[in-house]
Amino acid sequence: MTKTVLTVDDSRTMRDMLMLALKDAGYRVVQAEDGIHGLEVLQAESPDIVITDINMPRMDGFGFIEGMRADPNHKATPVLVLTTESDAAKKQRARDAGATGWIVKPFDPAKLVDAVRRVAA
Amino acid sequence: MSDDPFEAIKVTFFQECSELLGDLEANLLALETGQGDGETINAVFRAVHSVKGGAGAFGLEDLVRFAHVFETLMDELRSGRKECDDVTIKTLLRASDVLADHIAAAQGTKPPVDVARSAGLVAELEVLTHGQAKPAAPVAAAPVEDDFGFTPLTLDLADFGDPVELPSLELPSLDLPPLAAAPAAGWRIVFRPHPRLYASANDVSLLLRELARLGQTSVQLDDSGLPSLDALDAEDAHLIWTIDLSGDASEASVRDVFDFVEMDCDLSITALAPAASADLPGLPELPALAAAPVEPDFDIATLLAQATAAATDMTPAPAVAPAPAPIAPVTAPKPAAPVVAPAQAAAPAAPVGPAPVTIRVDLDRVDRLINVVGELVIQQAMLAQRVMESGLARSSDIALGLEDLELLTRDIQDSVMAIRAQPVKSVFQRMPRLVREVAEMTGKRVRLVTAGEDTEVDKTVVERLAEPITHMLRNAIDHGLESPEEREAAGKPAEGVVRLAALHRSGRIVIEIADDGKGINRSRVRGIAVDRGLIAEDAVLTDDEVDNLIFLPGFSTAETITDVSGRGVGMDVVRRSIQALGGRISISSVPGKGSTFTLSLPLTLAVLDGMVVAAAEQTLVAPLSAIVESLTPRVEDIHYVGGHDAVIRFREEFVPLVDVGRVMGFRDDATTLNGGVVMIVETEAGSRAALLVDAINGQRQVVIKSLETNYRHVDGVSAATILGDGSVALILDIDALVLAGRRKSNRPELKMAS
Amino acid sequence: MTEVTSNVAGADRELIAFRIGEQEFCVDIMNVREIRGWTPATPLPRSPSYMKGVINLRGIVLPIIDLGARFGLATAEPTARHVIMVAHIGNRMVGLLVDAVSDIVQLTDSTIQPTPDVASDHVKTFVKGIFAVEGGRMISLIDLDHVLPAESEAEAA
Repeated sequence: MTKTVLTVDDSRTMRDMLMLALKDAGYRVVQAEDGIHGLEVLQAESPDIVITDINMPRMDGFGFIEGMRADPNHKATPVLVLTTESDAAKKQRARDAGATGWIVKPFDPAKLVDAVRRVAA
Repeated sequence: MSDDPFEAIKVTFFQECSELLGDLEANLLALETGQGDGETINAVFRAVHSVKGGAGAFGLEDLVRFAHVFETLMDELRSGRKECDDVTIKTLLRASDVLADHIAAAQGTKPPVDVARSAGLVAELEVLTHGQAKPAAPVAAAPVEDDFGFTPLTLDLADFGDPVELPSLELPSLDLPPLAAAPAAGWRIVFRPHPRLYASANDVSLLLRELARLGQTSVQLDDSGLPSLDALDAEDAHLIWTIDLSGDASEASVRDVFDFVEMDCDLSITALAPAASADLPGLPELPALAAAPVEPDFDIATLLAQATAAATDMTPAPAVAPAPAPIAPVTAPKPAAPVVAPAQAAAPAAPVGPAPVTIRVDLDRVDRLINVVGELVIQQAMLAQRVMESGLARSSDIALGLEDLELLTRDIQDSVMAIRAQPVKSVFQRMPRLVREVAEMTGKRVRLVTAGEDTEVDKTVVERLAEPITHMLRNAIDHGLESPEEREAAGKPAEGVVRLAALHRSGRIVIEIADDGKGINRSRVRGIAVDRGLIAEDAVLTDDEVDNLIFLPGFSTAETITDVSGRGVGMDVVRRSIQALGGRISISSVPGKGSTFTLSLPLTLAVLDGMVVAAAEQTLVAPLSAIVESLTPRVEDIHYVGGHDAVIRFREEFVPLVDVGRVMGFRDDATTLNGGVVMIVETEAGSRAALLVDAINGQRQVVIKSLETNYRHVDGVSAATILGDGSVALILDIDALVLAGRRKSNRPELKMAS
Repeated sequence: MTEVTSNVAGADRELIAFRIGEQEFCVDIMNVREIRGWTPATPLPRSPSYMKGVINLRGIVLPIIDLGARFGLATAEPTARHVIMVAHIGNRMVGLLVDAVSDIVQLTDSTIQPTPDVASDHVKTFVKGIFAVEGGRMISLIDLDHVLPAESEAEAA
């Protein structure tokens, strides 16, 4: 069955790129523009995996993940964060917030798909 | 639309950059005027961050590098580690200009940024970031490669409790014992997840699956740590996996599998000895795993017996499912509680109310829609005309239906025009940077104040505003404002103020550009006009008329052609471009105090509410917004000033009477007043005049058709329209008409160049 | 007459020939969009005398230029028998008022000859050259770029 990925990012460019890479890999993609919007789409679509940016207006990626994890329906949904650097401190912060894994920007589409595969069956 | 989706995204990126730059500058300006706050700084950070992210994806190295330095400083500012003071903000503003240039260079719309200028700003940004001058190191490329900074975890198996025999679990695809049949090399991975691993929705089965991709794996589960069911905390972690991975996978690739979870587990990776030693105790790194040698032919019964005999009183999980699905017995811990308390799930930032829902629409579609609606208006008018001519009674169903149709059409037109209405903000936004550059170039100190950015106007007009506004701002700074020294000598603050404002006035949009500079030097302007043969030497002109001489072609007061304003682009070009839009421009000035340019434009280039009139057998349309009142002239109300200038009494004043048919050149001699109608109109400047026409034929909303498209500007005519009978009617330019009327009668000696 | 090689690339062109008074002219057919009959035009104030006004061409405001008047030839008031050629000049669309349209002629540029000196200077501004067609007719090739009034030409003072 086709899996659904929710991408949350305030950058239109980034959303388009994620969409391109994921659709090519056979995923169905739904999008949101910030954390609050992301939580709404999460409820509506119940995606199998979530990819979220960190820096967004209204509610950032961490707030979004915390919101996700607080919801019993989505406690166990894997979520990957998009980060521009992969230093230990950033990773720690992502982990603390409950992220399943991360993707470093700029991402290679193959690596993106690989990361998605790694956290979702 | 390019076929290549990647290229299409690049186009999107540059569009997005342009929006981000606009927001960025607006936010920095807000900070500059003290109207910003922490969230404003955050927004600036995000804008630069987004630019950098996208730029990285497209390999735009120069842009990435510059954006990175910019972003780093913004990070310091948003975290509060560095203070955002005036000096910083001014530097950030200049950095945003350079960022814009880098983006334009990346887009190919501008040449590459001057290296020195960019490097200079980079140095300034770094000084602000790091507190003192860094040695001039070349800007390093943004650290974009993966750098995991992995520190190996030391495995302490002491708290695993007494080691018990590891139950040997048969993997369907593997021989037992795995160690005995081990190939030349491989890894032994011992992996114990912490609760947080599950809390972050990591799935051990997926990890194991990844490992299985690197080579052949044999997995053993130690569930000896599982408490009894009643003591079991569903969200705790009690399991340890030992995976023997055979093959030639590198250690790095093994570690890589655990990349996401390394912080939330105990992990040890040791080389599998290629030797035949099957004794686990022989492996020095795993002292605690010293257990009975693995033997073939273990069966479940033995397993259970051994387990029961364990020192701890833990009951091993009876379900000894094969390793690939260890999740089955551990369904309990899997839906673990979030590590972060739910109480903190509240959004950190106060959520704004629901954002207005918008959709993006191709401008082409909107334009087509507007055109079609325009044709609808014309057709409806034609239909109404034919029905009227056919003699159908006004009260007949058809006529009434048509009236309804007219209202509906008008409604549609209003709504459709509103779609394309845009605030002038998009034009105003480019001006602060322009002002900064011109100020720098001319050595003046300038502060730009804007007002009314949200004033809306049709898109067709907005786009054409940029050029004239740019010219006038340049003019104001270059010629209007004095140098700081001159200003101080005159008792003014060294910093000059230029004000750019937009507002709606009587159905039009008015743009004002005011400076507090030295005003127009009238004697000089007059002198130049005489020199260039634009006016007669003895011409008598009011102050206002002298000021407006600068709009004449070929007029330029710059003695040296400065790079900024004087290069042959005079105010006459500005005026022509405004006129082409159906607008007008005027100037008023007070010597020593400053000048104000006023631009007045129609709200849309598309439709107009007009009064259809007849003059000298021509059908003309007068803009309704200019008409104050219509009346039938009485002979006794007409007076002749100086013997030949007609004025008519209107209420308590006398207003000049303009014979439209004659002034437009449709008729040579003056008309009699019999049967004529007078429309009192008000010009942009606020003065009144009376237009004499033969008849008034009713109000109508007309679609504006440009004359300039296929012909050129005609004085006295602002545009044309197509009437219900299919003929073309000219739309009057009231101001020009009134001016022409005055000229014809009042100033025979003033020779104006045409 | 001396043979003069044309300086235009020797390509075949199709031209549309039309008549004004007794004279024949032609323009490149690529410039002409359509031909229609005369309809009364709305006059424009203070315009040159060859500017007859504007008409409505399916929603477009089309300026009508009396070519004969533009060339300085004697002209009569337009009637329903006259013809308007809708032409592109640059990115403008213009209506050219002529007496009648005759036919389409093929022309190889090499057969163009320079305008003879007997023609008035005024006409020469617009005429690129002349050539002969069967029947001994001499046709003048018009350069449309000069037909529209230049910016500097104001309305008649």
